[in-house]
Order: sequence, then structure tokens, then C-alpha cells
Amino acid sequence: MLVIGIESSAHTFGVGIVDNGRMLANEKMMYDVGSRGMIPAKVAETHVKNASTVIKMALDKAGVTMKEIEGVGYTKGPGIGACLQIGQLSAKTIANALGVGIVPVNHAVAHVEITKHESGLKDPIALYVSGGNSQILKMADSPFKHYQILGETFDVGIGNMLDAFAREIRLKPAWGSTVAKLAEKGSYVPMPYTVKGMDFAFTGLLTYASSLAGKKSNEDLCYSIQETSFSMLCEATERALLLTNSDELEVCGGVAQSTRLQEMLRCVCKEHGFQFGAARNEYNADNGGMIAYVAERMLKDDRGEPLGRCDIQQRYRIDKAIVV
Amino acid sequence: MRQLSEGAEAKVFETEIFGVKSVVKSRQPKAYRIKEIDEELRRTRTKKEAKAMLRAKEAGVEVPGLLALGKFSIYMERLSGKLLKDTKSKVSYAKIGVMLAKMHAANVVHGDFTPANIIIDGEKAYVIDFGLAEIGESVENKALDMLLMKRSVSQKQYKELASTYAKTYSDSKPVFARLADIERRGRYQIRSLA
Repeated sequence: MLVIGIESSAHTFGVGIVDNGRMLANEKMMYDVGSRGMIPAKVAETHVKNASTVIKMALDKAGVTMKEIEGVGYTKGPGIGACLQIGQLSAKTIANALGVGIVPVNHAVAHVEITKHESGLKDPIALYVSGGNSQILKMADSPFKHYQILGETFDVGIGNMLDAFAREIRLKPAWGSTVAKLAEKGSYVPMPYTVKGMDFAFTGLLTYASSLAGKKSNEDLCYSIQETSFSMLCEATERALLLTNSDELEVCGGVAQSTRLQEMLRCVCKEHGFQFGAARNEYNADNGGMIAYVAERMLKDDRGEPLGRCDIQQRYRIDKAIVV
Repeated sequence: MRQLSEGAEAKVFETEIFGVKSVVKSRQPKAYRIKEIDEELRRTRTKKEAKAMLRAKEAGVEVPGLLALGKFSIYMERLSGKLLKDTKSKVSYAKIGVMLAKMHAANVVHGDFTPANIIIDGEKAYVIDFGLAEIGESVENKALDMLLMKRSVSQKQYKELASTYAKTYSDSKPVFARLADIERRGRYQIRSLA
């Protein structure tokens, strides 16, 4: 089944095309967050400008024409309302014009599922870390097949926390990557550490690190905030692995691109003899391919929705989404 | 030393100290985190755990006797008896409500108050594993103690426990109010494994 998937939950407008689980195209264009982060109306405006270009790029890459498309998927949420609407509208327009099935997809499910597919893990604990999300997940079968949230952030997502700190010291916020670069030359300054069981909180750390801006070197602060926050994630994840008797771990989402975080999680797994997996970075970042991948499976499972019910939901939690 | 159990943070071994059959809970180094964070967490948590145990004991709650304290390890009296989650004998949840009330009145929050952390030995009930305990007045944390136990036992058992808790702890009203509040929060609705 030839399916097109559209992702637009945040700064990325992505379009993927799959055919029986095989990725034919995964194209994207991004809003430049600059030094001010995302302004919803501006991001949506950029998506409007880019939408048809990215769709054409994907079709060309896949070597198919629009008429051949047999199904459509789009990100229902979680995400920024104004941005989600652009993907939703594009998807509905395509589905309506072609008269093919359409299905709304949970963004977090797509990240977890594409990583599972890429890594070949069977039933992993998933650490989903991105700008707005930080959750520890495990597949559960009742009352329906879904990802259960074992632990999560009490306040902000880790990516947003690192970006907020980056702005504080006038770095370009880019999902932790600018902080990571400075961290390479830093040494440790004690920072507050908040883990409660399998949950964690980041704002105390952010406030404290920000209060030291200008008093300690940026390198030291970046190193310390990164080591502390990643250690928190690792501790909660290790606890989740042991409590659920799991022996597989995947990491997914934008912050999964961090080599330091992957190195630490690999170390957690090595100690217990667990399997560790991650996807290639093109799937860790937001992308349309993962939406297409999940959409195809859902359409084959007859999970398509009538156009009138194809809505968006800004706070669409992963544990409310049926997984097939 | 024979290893008895292994948690995410610590290993528990059977040992003998001063001729007394005992257990030692030892916080293990974690290779994933830098030494500065690793040692600081293990040291402060070990100290905090011992402190919480002593406070609970002073408040009249049965806990394993503290025998010795190392930098990253706690030596404790070895208890006989069975974990509440494994025991088949009839247990008074009224008594467990009183224990929790006494701890909270002394501002000891257990942090992982479940049937897996209570040992029943005949008439006596002991609270074990203060590894996640906090000392403080936080109503939220006290309510979380209650919530965790509520989720792990039957409705009838919870009612028994809550009723003696309310009678014993004079400041229990805000705790129950916060508990209701937490349960209303969306994120707690589907989660079954707290």
C-alpha cells in the first residue's frame, strides 16, 4: 500500500512515502528557530509556504505520482495547534481529492514505532526525549494496545529545558546540540538533581544553572546541566527497565540525537546485559516518514477515519492512542 | 557475602556484624554517570536513608535496627517474616494506617510505600527500604505515599488504613484533599504502574 505521511507538529514540515513498510522518501523543510525559538503563527506561515514544495520533493524522490497514492496519514498531536493544522489540512485535501483513506497519527507513537522498526527490538522500554516531551514508555495490552507512561517529566521537556538555558547564555537553541558542543570543554559544577521513582523534573536545574550564568564559564555550565539532566534520565530509565523485567531499551525523539545521551544509555544496558537500540538521526528528528510508516499499518488495520473526524489535538497523550 | 536482592540503586547482601545476623544495603557505583555526580548521589542518599529510618523509629514505627553506617552502605538488623505482598496471613491494615500516620506526623515521607516494603512478622509490622524517603512537610509527598498504597491494596483494605490514618494524624485533612487533587490530574488516569 502506497501511503503518504505528513508531519507538522512543530518546526518541521515533513513528508514521507512508504510502500509496504519500505521507506521511499522522507523529505522535510524546517522553520529557522533563530535565537528566539518558535513563534506559532510564524512557524505555521512557514509551513504554508513550504507544504506543496515538500510534498513534491517527496513524490519526486519516491518516483511516484500523486495519483498512485493509496492512503494518507498526518500528525494529530501532540504539537503546536497552528502548526498541526497545516499538516491536517494538506492531508485532508490530498485524501479528499484522491478519494483514499486517511488516518490521524500520534506523533509520539510514530517516534517509538519507527525506532522499534529501525533497531529491530521487539518489546523495548522506550525513552522518548524531545523538545516538549520526556517520557519512559512501555507497550501495554489493556484496555487496548497502547504505550503506557511509566515515568515522565513533571514540568518541561528536556529539549526545551536545554534550549531555554542556551538562550539564557545567548547560544542558538537547537535541541541541546549547541549546549553539547560547549559541554565538551567543561568541568563539573554541582547542580540540583530531581528524580522521583521513574519521574523527573527539570525546572529546578534550569533555574539554578541560569542563576550561575556569568559567574561560571559557559563551558562548565553546559557540561554540568547536560551531565545532570542526562543522569536523571538514565536513573529513571534504569529503574523502569528493572521494575518491568525488560531487557531491551530504545531511545527516540529529537534529543536522542545526542551522542552523549546514547553513550550513557548504552552503558546502562551494558551493565545488565540488555539490548540497546536507536534509529538513524533522520528519524530521531521530526519527520514525515515515521507518520507514513505508522499510517500504513493503521490503514491496513482498518483504522482510517472519515474526513469529518480527522481532527487535531494539541495535548494528544501517547497513552490515549491505539497502537496496531 | 550472599546477595539477597538487587534494585536499581543498591544491592542487599546477607552478612554478620558484631555477631548479629544482618543485611547490608550498598549503593553501587553507576558507570554511566560522571564520578562527581555518582559519589555525591550515593553519599547523600545513604545518609538521608539512615536519617529517615532513625526518625521513623523515634516516631514509634517499627523499622529494621540500624547497626552501622558506611559512606555508601547501611548495615541493618536482618528481619524474619514475610513481605506484606507475599504473606498469606490476615493483616491488620488499621495498623499500617497508624504506622504511616506516625511517620507523616514526624515529617518522614517514605517515597515508596507499597506492600513490597512492609514486612509482617507475627503481630509485628515493619517498614523497610527508606531509599526514596524524604524528610519534610510536603503535603504532596505525603499524599503520594497514600496514593501508592491505595493503588496497591483492595478498597476495603484502603478504607481500614485511611480511617486509622485520619484518627492518628491530626493534620491528615490536607493530605486527603491533595490525594483527591492528584487523582484528578489527567496524567494519572491511565497509568496503572505508579
